[in-house]
Amino acid sequence: MKKTQTKVFADLVGSIIFIILGIWAWIQTSSFQEVSGSYVQASTFPLIMIVGMLIFSVILLVQSVIKLLAMKGDSLSSAEKCESINPVTNKGVRAAFIVVALCVAFVALFQTLGYVICSAVIAVVIMYLIGKRDYVQMIIVSILVPLGMWLIFYKVLTVNIPMGPLQFLRDLLDKF
Amino acid sequence: MDFGLLLESYAAVWTNPEVLVMTLLGALGGVLLGAIPGMTATMGVALLIPFSFGMDLIPSIGLLLGIYCGGMYGGSISAILIHAPGTPAAAATLLDGYPMCKKGQAGKALSVAMFSSFCGGVIGALVMTFLSPLIADMAMKFGPGEMFMLAVFGLSVIVSISGKSISKGLISAFLGLALCTVGLDPTNGVPRFITYKQTGLLDGFQFIPTLIGMFAVAEVIAGVERILNGEEKQESSHEKIKNVLPDFATIKKIWPNILSGGLIGTLIGAIPGAGGDIAVFVSYGANKSASKHPELWGTGIPNGVASTESANNGCSGGAMIPLLSLGVPGDSVTAILLGAFIMKGITPGPMMYVNEIPTVYKVFAALMLANLAMLIVGCCGVRFFAKIVSVEKKMLYPIILVVSLLGAYSINKNVFDVAVCVGFGIFGWLMNKYEFPLSPILLALILGPMCEKNFVRFMNIQRGNFFAITKSPIAMTFAIVAVAVIIFSIFNQMKINKVQQLDPTQE
Repeated sequence: MKKTQTKVFADLVGSIIFIILGIWAWIQTSSFQEVSGSYVQASTFPLIMIVGMLIFSVILLVQSVIKLLAMKGDSLSSAEKCESINPVTNKGVRAAFIVVALCVAFVALFQTLGYVICSAVIAVVIMYLIGKRDYVQMIIVSILVPLGMWLIFYKVLTVNIPMGPLQFLRDLLDKF
Repeated sequence: MDFGLLLESYAAVWTNPEVLVMTLLGALGGVLLGAIPGMTATMGVALLIPFSFGMDLIPSIGLLLGIYCGGMYGGSISAILIHAPGTPAAAATLLDGYPMCKKGQAGKALSVAMFSSFCGGVIGALVMTFLSPLIADMAMKFGPGEMFMLAVFGLSVIVSISGKSISKGLISAFLGLALCTVGLDPTNGVPRFITYKQTGLLDGFQFIPTLIGMFAVAEVIAGVERILNGEEKQESSHEKIKNVLPDFATIKKIWPNILSGGLIGTLIGAIPGAGGDIAVFVSYGANKSASKHPELWGTGIPNGVASTESANNGCSGGAMIPLLSLGVPGDSVTAILLGAFIMKGITPGPMMYVNEIPTVYKVFAALMLANLAMLIVGCCGVRFFAKIVSVEKKMLYPIILVVSLLGAYSINKNVFDVAVCVGFGIFGWLMNKYEFPLSPILLALILGPMCEKNFVRFMNIQRGNFFAITKSPIAMTFAIVAVAVIIFSIFNQMKINKVQQLDPTQE
């Protein structure tokens, strides 16, 4: 196993990401408006937290570097392997990325298509993606669950949820 | 205390059919609402308060307290079964509840949660009955300095919930605390990390969509990945639930956690502005630190569930103390209850104990009844709730996702919250994948705003002299205990890591 495939290397990458994030956030705080007469400025609290994050990120970085340098022969072969995030080589990660894309599409189309249609589509696609092949069950569940949730939220909890083209269902329900 | 009048009030409340029915209905509604991610006990009480308009005071208070107590327990159901806390007060329950479910002990976890919720609620109600004026006096001594130190004390638990790597836990915690500062500065209204044009973030990241995203959505993404990689196994549906209540051996094991959790919950609940979400983490941390086997906490043990569930229901009694004795609500639910009292022509406060003592005693009795109603509803539902894990994972994950996204939307009826939920879902999935713990972020998101707000207030009152905090005995007590907890947790974690290095199977 290569050193770059170990959990320790993942920690090293993680610590670098948090250091970059911390430095960016620190720079951002310098642009916060100062309020005269206030003993604590808007930037004080975030700055303390960012410094804390940076300190522990540097500690993690140092720990990872020391561990990586010490890894040789047996200790390298027995080192814990880090999780893959490569969608090309790992079908699980590929499916996870598809779920993420579906969630983003859900957010983008929520107002236009409404909750029930968006949810039914996302549910059917995910079920198919993870190997469910009982189509009747898939369609029934993915339509009835969002419809049932909408009914509960609309009638019992009086929360109005976008329905898109299915708006007529609400009008129908209101008539009864 | 007039014990004769107290007993008379209990008898009047417990034999009134209208009160019994309303409290039971309230508890049922509370449990069901609490179990839906995104629906809090506060929302439940707010939604159902119009139904109480036409009722007498005690049945209406019974209905609302039933929802309150039921909602507190209900939140644990989804935390245990689907890794999505129904309410913020159930956030810490998933630390041990979900691993128990993964081990095929969903029914046991639910019954422990229910029993602990009931006991915690009873402890809260008893403390409220006998020690109200005393605790109310203590709670009123909490100024910004004391509140700030209470938040710091709560944050000291972070080390003990960090897992294997303390550095990673602390990175998560500081990141969470920094995330709390996104939006308008609470004191001066200065935008931080955003511009005024980004209206969706002016109030920062909303807590509930963030919570749902980090836990439920992240779990769905990870679950799909595991199924495709052949690492996911269907949770046992063979767990036989013989008794809906925990067996005697389990009760013997968890009673110290229930007792301490109930008391911690009651005391924290009595402090205005501090609620169940804070109490559960303080109770979890305190109980873990005191445990002989801290290495088992977080792996799915009933003690973890008991310590958090007794604390959040203990809060219900605690939050009623300042409401009744001072007219100051302890949390958002009691703020709505204050409105209910005023609508009925009763003004809670010190004079209530002089002029309306029979009503006060009836409220005590109604709270006790609400806890009993929650237990009855819970007992009837445990077998049914436990069946949820038997649903095929290939169907359960999409259902969790669509219900969670709806929960995120329903808070403010805002699509931006759904986007935040999805964003934090992706973030939570990646953090989990690379073993950066999420619980410290969650704790930071709960305590961060309280910490900053009170820090700024304190500094402005003391004209920038932070060391003036040493003059407050309460604040200094919290500071000393916080330092002790941190040292003890670091020591414990080192011990756990050492044991796991020698015997990796204990991980």
